[in-house]
Order: sequence, then C-alpha cells, then structure tokens
Amino acid sequence: MANKPTAYNNRLGLKGWVYAGNYTFERYLYIGHRLSGLGLIAYMVLHIIETANRMRGEEAWAALMGLFASPVFKIVEYLLFAAAVFHAMNGVRLLLVELGFFLGKPQEPIFPYKSSVMKHRPLTYIIMLLAGLLMALGGSSLFFK
Amino acid sequence: MRETRLWSLHILVIPVIAVLLGMHFAVQHYAPVFYGMSVEKARDFATMIERGKSTAQFVVYILLLAAGLYHGLYGTRGIIRELPLSPALAKVVDWGILTVGVLIFALGTYVTWWTFVHPGV
Repeated sequence: MANKPTAYNNRLGLKGWVYAGNYTFERYLYIGHRLSGLGLIAYMVLHIIETANRMRGEEAWAALMGLFASPVFKIVEYLLFAAAVFHAMNGVRLLLVELGFFLGKPQEPIFPYKSSVMKHRPLTYIIMLLAGLLMALGGSSLFFK
Repeated sequence: MRETRLWSLHILVIPVIAVLLGMHFAVQHYAPVFYGMSVEKARDFATMIERGKSTAQFVVYILLLAAGLYHGLYGTRGIIRELPLSPALAKVVDWGILTVGVLIFALGTYVTWWTFVHPGV
C-alpha cells in the first residue's frame, strides 16, 4: 500500500523558529535575518500600495509626504534602512557559507571536534561590524544634514 | 528539481535587488548626499512625475518590483512552510502567496506605467 503524504513533522513547531540551542550568535543572526526579512517584505507591499496614492493627484501626494516628514516616520524610515542593511550584510555571510567559503577544509570527525562555525566566526564579526558602520553612516546622513 | 530552481532564482535575484535598491535609496532617501537635492524636493510630486518619465527609471522599477517581490515572498513562503502543514494546506499557502505577489506586482506596474505616461505637471 502506498504511503499517503502526511504533514511534515516539525517537532518544535513555532518554537523552532526562535530556539537557539547551542548555536548562540549565528542562531540569533538567523532570527534577526528572518524578522528583518518579514519586516521588509511587509513594508514593500505597503510601500507599493502607498505610492499608488500619487494617482489621486498632487494634493493627496503632498499630504502623504507631509506625514512621512514627521519625526516618527523619520525613525521608522531609519529602522527600515537598518533592517535592509542587516538583512543584506547577513545575507552576504549566508551566501558565503552556502557556497562553502570560510568554513575550513572538511576533516575526519575525530574528538576533539573542530567546528566550522567557529572557523567562520571571525568573518561573522567583521560583517556585522561593517553592517553597524553602514547603519551609523546611514543614520548620520538621514538625521544630520 | 522545481524547488531547486525556485531557490536558485531566490539567490540569483539578490545582486539585482542590491544594485537597484541601492539606486532607489540614493534617489529617494539620500538625495542630499548623491544629488545635492533635499529629500523633500526629491519626493515632490512634480519631481517624481518628471523622474518617472524616464525609460531607464521605468525599467529599473519594474525589475526591482519583480526581484524584490519574488525574493521576499519566496522567503516568506519558506518560513511558513516550515510549520507542520498538511500537503493541502501547504498548497493553499503557495497559491495564496503567488496571488498576493501577482496582485501587488500588477498594482506596482500599473502605478509605474501611470507615472511613465503622465502628461506632466
């Protein structure tokens, strides 16, 4: 008898999205990557709907832009920029890992085990420092003219 | 194989997004830095309509729309599909996300086209 397809057994369910286990730093970057990604796609959809407002004419557009010029929206704009920078920089790191860079050469699993995560860790720190620098530079251009 | 293709496309659109989103940021959010123009002026109705008449801008925005929506919605699909869904529910998620993507892409394309053919201010 052929097996009927069943639901994927995700033992951890929603908890599996945030549970860091023993992976520490990279796992939190993974959570940040997901959250920033979800935030960015939600914003993108809203942004497309919001920019359609131009079809209602110049006055409607000016009113909307006036709203976006408020300090609250400046902060929201900066948070979006920061999310985009973090997502992009961490995405570069993930691509490098996916393509096998900065992981060291494969070795026999002999105790004491060497973790490829730890070999990759210095690059993780460098990329995150660069992301922080870009966020600071972006903020200085956005807020201090 | 289908999933591999979808994932590969998700990765391949990254450079497209990086370049085009960078251009979008430069024009809209960092106009004082890159164009010596205030953000208010860059977002002014007349400036926006004028900019939207350029064929290059039209192409850039359609590509950014397609690449950004695909990358973002494929990522969202991946996150949702990690939940213990039945195959039938997984199919609903796939079709739901595809529908949202097509609708938003159609709206974005229409707005970009509307700006492109606008008679001007």
